Amino acid sequence: MTFLQAEDEYAALELLHELGCTDGLPVVIPTEARVDRFVVASGLDASLSLGTMGPLGGNVTVSLMAACCVMAGCLPDHVPVVLAAVRAVLDPAFDATEMQSTTHCTAPLVIVNGPARAMVSISSGFGALGPGHRANASVGRALRLTMTNAGGVKPGVSDMALLGHAGKFTYCLGEDEEHSPFLPLHVRRGWKADQSVVTVIGAEAPHSVLAIIDGDDPKGADRLLDQLARCLANVGSNNANFRNGQAVVVLNPDHATVLAKAGYTGQTVAAAIALRGVNPLSLLREVNSALPHRDDGDDPSVPAFRSPDDVLVIQAGGGGLYSMVMPSWAAGPHANRAVSVEVDWGAACEIPGALSR
Amino acid sequence: MRDGIHIAQRGTPAVALVTNDFWEQGNFVATAAGMADVPRVQLPHPVASTGRTRMRQIALDVVDDIVSALSR
Repeated sequence: MTFLQAEDEYAALELLHELGCTDGLPVVIPTEARVDRFVVASGLDASLSLGTMGPLGGNVTVSLMAACCVMAGCLPDHVPVVLAAVRAVLDPAFDATEMQSTTHCTAPLVIVNGPARAMVSISSGFGALGPGHRANASVGRALRLTMTNAGGVKPGVSDMALLGHAGKFTYCLGEDEEHSPFLPLHVRRGWKADQSVVTVIGAEAPHSVLAIIDGDDPKGADRLLDQLARCLANVGSNNANFRNGQAVVVLNPDHATVLAKAGYTGQTVAAAIALRGVNPLSLLREVNSALPHRDDGDDPSVPAFRSPDDVLVIQAGGGGLYSMVMPSWAAGPHANRAVSVEVDWGAACEIPGALSR
Repeated sequence: MRDGIHIAQRGTPAVALVTNDFWEQGNFVATAAGMADVPRVQLPHPVASTGRTRMRQIALDVVDDIVSALSR
């Protein structure tokens, strides 16, 4: 890795901005000593290549990732989580090259499950996707800075997102497993509960779903599922129009409880939303007549999702009236797949006094 | 651009049609893919959603450039 020269940290910051190495916000200057400390935290060789990142095809070395962790404001303890997220994005099934180039606004949403959340203080409660949560903010930002720097991402030149969204700065949360009535996402995806797993999916910004449930209404759960499905599969979404892609539903604890009391599990919630996430063929044709909407037969209802597995349901946030849905880009060779990678704690090293340096 | 590159890599003559808003990205992708000279022709932006009449006119305007690029 080549280190730049600057008179002081202010000059170094301006140089990094000028070279397009930042996200436009101030960064911690990745000095050689700081980067070395984060390389050690990874437990890997600095020159080890984790893969190549499109669209530039840059080499994602451990030292590059470490430098991005420094810039993002990470603690050394965050490195294994960032490393898992980077590995997820580098999985060919993630289609990072296409995702980073598209005109769609998609951003990598990082969902953390398992013991890692407590070990590195990933938040899953009130405002988990907002400011004020250091680990969430810096882990998600480190991933984005790694993708930006290795992928040669520059708005309007190589990243053609027409507008983008704020999640392209950082987009990371944990699942509130401890208060959820459902099995955690990673367990539903085939991992063990005591494994720490990072799931990354390209996603739109969170869309609020207001659902005021009357406790005496026997159809309360049905109404909630309808509302979630309508918002997730909204007629303007790529999922609805392309009939593809995976997408995310974040239930707040109160809404999750309503569904659990009605007998739903995480799997059946996903299945119910996939089943209800439909639009009339005539409506799709009306709003996007240029698309070749095929007629699948007599049924005029067109599903946005092909399988319950395409709806990723988690619980997070504070309890109240609002859950969130994140529709997705739904394109690319693998049609916007979520990729899960286990956090490897075995390679991570403890660094005595790391925080004081 | 990437489609044109993939087709050219398979040995089939190809010309990428790139609108001027995406011209710089096309150059970036071609360079990143190691095929900086892959043939491409610039179109005005936008082409999509502009109607058959305008699209036909754009096609007439660039058809000679496309043939020329394929003939090089």
